[in-house]
Amino acid sequence: MPEYQAAKLLRLHFTERDRFHGKPLYEAIVEKCRELNIAGATVFRGLEGYGDTAEIHRSHVIRHDLPILVQIVDSAENIGRLLPVVEAMMDKGLIAISEVTTRRIQKADESSA
Amino acid sequence: MLSKGAAKKVTIYLNEDTQRHLGPLYESILSFLMNKGVAGATATRALAGFGAHRELHTPKIEVLAEHLPIRIEFIETAEKVDEILPTLYDMVTDGLIEVQDTNVVKIAMKEKRAAAAAEPHTRKAGTAKLMRIFLGEADRWHGEPLYEAIVKQLRMMEIAGATVYRGILGYGAKGHTHKQSFFHVVRDMPIMISVVESEEKLTPAASMVEGMIQDGLIVISEVEIVRLANSIPPEEDAIARIPGR
Repeated sequence: MPEYQAAKLLRLHFTERDRFHGKPLYEAIVEKCRELNIAGATVFRGLEGYGDTAEIHRSHVIRHDLPILVQIVDSAENIGRLLPVVEAMMDKGLIAISEVTTRRIQKADESSA
Repeated sequence: MLSKGAAKKVTIYLNEDTQRHLGPLYESILSFLMNKGVAGATATRALAGFGAHRELHTPKIEVLAEHLPIRIEFIETAEKVDEILPTLYDMVTDGLIEVQDTNVVKIAMKEKRAAAAAEPHTRKAGTAKLMRIFLGEADRWHGEPLYEAIVKQLRMMEIAGATVYRGILGYGAKGHTHKQSFFHVVRDMPIMISVVESEEKLTPAASMVEGMIQDGLIVISEVEIVRLANSIPPEEDAIARIPGR
């Protein structure tokens, strides 16, 4: 696969309840990624899970506290730039980094019927 | 054993009333094929037709109705066809045999799958590749959602499995933020498809996906797999894993 380039995949695990300056932490992180010109970020909400607090996070009538996963793919350099910023924003949670190879696909829009 | 890919399709044209050993020829051909272990054969009676005798066989005229054309078709591997063709050549005393190249896309066997489920599980560990495909929920492929089309294609390629995730927020390829809003009717949330397969099977799958997506990202990483799997021998595995829809 010659057109694939080496990159880093950053995964941040925390919960829906985590906040940063009054707004959900995942929103704040995505905004920060845009600010730092990171290629892209995607937030996923889990159905159920638990972490280091050993507390099961699941949907509840009055309390929404589901696990959140933020995935970011960018060059090692950009991830290195983002990492200290994100670390400072997260109170608790987990950060996982893996080595990946990526290919960005962007074709002309003519045949997208 | 017939499997996906290149195969031969044999078509035999004969008359309903052509006899062999006091029975109809098509019946003895079918039983011969069954005894030889041919994957499957179908005999169909035609509506009308003519052949070497330059006589139009049609059910409209009672006398001619007894000579309606019969067509027997079966699909087998090239080796198997080579093995049985000399005998068929000998058997068809009046008619025509045609062989053509064909491509088997799917062979599904329902009963086999049910039997396989009862087998004990085994652990299979090793290294594999994990492919993540990032795209948008609103991306289309010939009118259907792109993520659905990709999953269907992956299934046809017999990729072990694929899972589609819908994100709740994100940005990337298109530069705009995907966010669920009360006022938005059209949903365009981020979608991620994850696929785990061996490298040799994932490489063609990745190029297939590359061809399908207009705008997106493919991320591939090395993973270790620890899987619980049915202990089906590999060649049967391929068939058993295709469920009948």
